[in-house]
Amino acid sequence: MKLGSCAREKEVKDLLERGHWPEACAPDLRLHVSGCRNCGDLVLVTETFRNARAAAAGAAKLGSPGLLWWRAQLRRRNAAVERIGRPLLSAQIFALATILLLTVGFVVSQARHGLGWLTWLEGLPEAGTLHLGNLWPTALFDPSWSPLVLVPAVATLVLLGGAVVYLVSEKQ
Amino acid sequence: MPWESVLPSVLTRDAQLDASRAAVPPMDNDAFACFYERSSRSVWAYLARTSGDPALAEDLMQESYVRFLCATRKEEGEVAARRYLFRIASNLLRDHWRRPRTSSLDEISEDFFAAHGGSGQSDSQMMLGPAMKQMRPRDRQLLWLAYAEGYSHREIAEVTGLASASIRLMLFRARRKVARLLRDTESGRAL
Repeated sequence: MKLGSCAREKEVKDLLERGHWPEACAPDLRLHVSGCRNCGDLVLVTETFRNARAAAAGAAKLGSPGLLWWRAQLRRRNAAVERIGRPLLSAQIFALATILLLTVGFVVSQARHGLGWLTWLEGLPEAGTLHLGNLWPTALFDPSWSPLVLVPAVATLVLLGGAVVYLVSEKQ
Repeated sequence: MPWESVLPSVLTRDAQLDASRAAVPPMDNDAFACFYERSSRSVWAYLARTSGDPALAEDLMQESYVRFLCATRKEEGEVAARRYLFRIASNLLRDHWRRPRTSSLDEISEDFFAAHGGSGQSDSQMMLGPAMKQMRPRDRQLLWLAYAEGYSHREIAEVTGLASASIRLMLFRARRKVARLLRDTESGRAL
């Protein structure tokens, strides 16, 4: 469609915006509008929409602004809590994944050492007096294990403990 | 030595621009109540006339204000705030139309607009209702923003997210069509 713009359209638009149409309008412009399709469309559409706006605005059923404000505050607060909780969730997932890996590693290493747990359990009733040293299964902690294995294991346990405490406190 | 001098100017220029366009502080309860009083009728009228559903308009208006309060605005002032509000409302309307549901505007019966333009309504509404029904949702939005709200093409582009250059042509077509429909309705009523 070709844009058939009229040279006087801007003039008519200005009059409409200022509310000068049709009373404060020159007779020649009024004559032009009655004969020009573009300007006629502009006047008809602008007047109809403005009247409809005034009528619709009067019929509006408005709610309480205070209620909306509090709803917004609540939503902002929830969004902030969610933002804070996101890294904690990531930490929990990381801790869980690490502990699972360590558990699998531990089970595999125990299986390779011929399940020393069983011999330790069998020898437990024959130990006589109960000493703390007797309770340590020697096969469980191989002296060849380096701190590189033990330190992450302890750290993960601490992290997991923290995650569990957080989950419990959150539920409470 | 300030840390900005260590960084290349390309990086610090962006930081300066961001600082100059710092976020507007959120409105307090009283300021919002005043803003709501001044703007809510226009927003409701826009939503109600472009959607053709007053109940939906009410829901979308409430959601628009809540999102407006939660959002971080960059431009200060009442005019910018109103434009931003209309933008949120337009996005909500568009989302509503995109959602597949029975209350979609395309599936509203032809009597809907006529029924809402019944007794007790002004002449302009009775004329505009049937004409608006035959317009596309986007054209209804453009026409309302341009001729009821008096927004410029650039402002309409900001509100609707459309390209500023294409708005002139779209608006011209929509105006021609709605003017023809209004004349048809008027001549139909006169008979």
